[in-house]
Amino acid sequence: MILLGTLGRRLLAAVPILFVVSLLLFVALRVLPVDPAAMSMPPNATRDEIEAARRDMGLDRPLVEQYGVWFDHAVRGDFGRSIHLRRPAAGLVGETLPSTIELATAAMLVASVLGLAGGLLLFALRDRPAETIAETGTTLLMSVPEFLWALLFIFVFGVALQAMPFTGRLDPGLQRPMVTGFLLLDAVLTLRFDVLRSALVHLVLPAIALGLAFAPPIMRVLRASLLDTYHEDYIRQARLRGISETRILLRHALKNAILPTLTLMGVQFGFLFGGSLLVEVIYSYPGMGNLMVDAVRNADLPIIQLVGLTYCVVVLTINSLVDGLYLVLNPRLRAR
Amino acid sequence: MPRWLRSARVIAGLLLAGLVLTCALAAPWLAPHDPDEQDLIAMLLPAVWQAGGDHAHLLGTDGLGRDVLSRLLYGARVAMTVALTAALGAAVMGATLAYIAGYLGGRVDWLIGRAIDIWMSFPPVVLSLILMTGLGTGTRNVILAIVLVDWTRFCRVLRAEVIVTARRDYVTAARLVGFSHLRTVIREIVPATIPLLVTLLTLEMGIAVVVEAILSFVGLGVKSSQIAWGQMIADGRDAVYQAPWNLLAPVLAIFVTVAGFNLLGDGLRRSLDVRMVEGRE
Repeated sequence: MILLGTLGRRLLAAVPILFVVSLLLFVALRVLPVDPAAMSMPPNATRDEIEAARRDMGLDRPLVEQYGVWFDHAVRGDFGRSIHLRRPAAGLVGETLPSTIELATAAMLVASVLGLAGGLLLFALRDRPAETIAETGTTLLMSVPEFLWALLFIFVFGVALQAMPFTGRLDPGLQRPMVTGFLLLDAVLTLRFDVLRSALVHLVLPAIALGLAFAPPIMRVLRASLLDTYHEDYIRQARLRGISETRILLRHALKNAILPTLTLMGVQFGFLFGGSLLVEVIYSYPGMGNLMVDAVRNADLPIIQLVGLTYCVVVLTINSLVDGLYLVLNPRLRAR
Repeated sequence: MPRWLRSARVIAGLLLAGLVLTCALAAPWLAPHDPDEQDLIAMLLPAVWQAGGDHAHLLGTDGLGRDVLSRLLYGARVAMTVALTAALGAAVMGATLAYIAGYLGGRVDWLIGRAIDIWMSFPPVVLSLILMTGLGTGTRNVILAIVLVDWTRFCRVLRAEVIVTARRDYVTAARLVGFSHLRTVIREIVPATIPLLVTLLTLEMGIAVVVEAILSFVGLGVKSSQIAWGQMIADGRDAVYQAPWNLLAPVLAIFVTVAGFNLLGDGLRRSLDVRMVEGRE
């Protein structure tokens, strides 16, 4: 109950942020030097025809009024049409968002497993000669952003070893089952295990590339908060009671040390959605990132606006969920 | 020797960053060829140690027969220009707002805090892409976009530090002696936050190199006539079978540069003993 209350309050607090973001996005994209009206017309259109299109699209009216019209349509679910693809923007984003969510979730799983395991390893190596090596290792690991991992993986596993597929989501011959839009889920629901296998194999390289890039900060924060936790009296107490070191670490210290790590992981998850953009482009993965980059190249304003807003919604939702999870895991916050 | 110069990380970082900076400054003398000179007979040559390599082109040539090594050296110029100026710009903007917010508190602090909230609700890559759509390509716009996206990194961390420092007795003492607000901030608070600022600045330089490469990779970075590592990667992807160093050389260059800045920042953080600074993006 408290959890739902907090979650609701956080989501409610996100609404004004979302409103301001939509306003900023609108203004930022409208002061552009590009003219969406001219771009939507064939190149041999006359000046008068472009003017007519401008009036038609409402671009000659004051900015505040334009935003009012946009907002009025937006609350009814109409986010305009893609200028380039000539289809409703909401439909395009709706089709690509599930793919991006699947990629980001898989990558976050990779990042969490590697991050937590790495953090425990770094902590276990404390005050030993190997610690310096391990720490320099994480610094170097932090110097490889996701798009470099993605390119290196393509080179090693795709080109040199020819072991993994590295474009798209499925083998060319397979028909995509359509139920919910989430490919992995649809494959399970329709019992198409050949599709599931192909989709998973295609997901391995992008998910690991993206996960690897976001794991090192998790390792470091977990190590740092474990070090802090070990200064607490209750750890010494546990030692005096004769509890084994492994049990102290996993059952006693980790429970407290995981909390700051969790906050960071929430932030990382949001950033990871941004990072998925590059990985999608490199692996020709049909997600929202690819849609965004195409839209940016074609100055397709309705798409840019809606995709930008969707990223924002995703980040705010993740933040609210992490806050809720924090409350579940930290009983001290509930006592108010 | 000052303490921070005795750290192995700091020295390694300075060496790597110095190496890239030297390449950037001395590119016209170091480069074996004109980076834009096309040799249409020797297109997509592999590196010299691979079968079919040519001693005239140590790292091979690209799809237009341009020398990869020379382009790599010239590419360091854009990377270093963006790294140094964009990081400095973001630091100045973020730090100024952090001093204002942390020292004045109240409504100003609230406003700047909400601005940070709004900025943080965007993945940085998405925000910089949107800004570049608005600003158009070019080195100056890349720098501007990085400053406008990344000032929050400085502001968030420094603001907390300023709030703590502003409550210290010596700051109150300075006010009692009759220092103006401006003088108190500049003479008493800023020096206390310099170590943190320097560490953040170094780490931001690495981030700026990555962001510039990303933007150039998707074709929204520097002008297409300029040589940038991100652009070399985009071109090199198509040639990965015939001439893999077209792709691998700029990837390695970015890694070395970012690793240099990260080692330097990490070493400074430890030896200057400031609070932990985490989070890459």
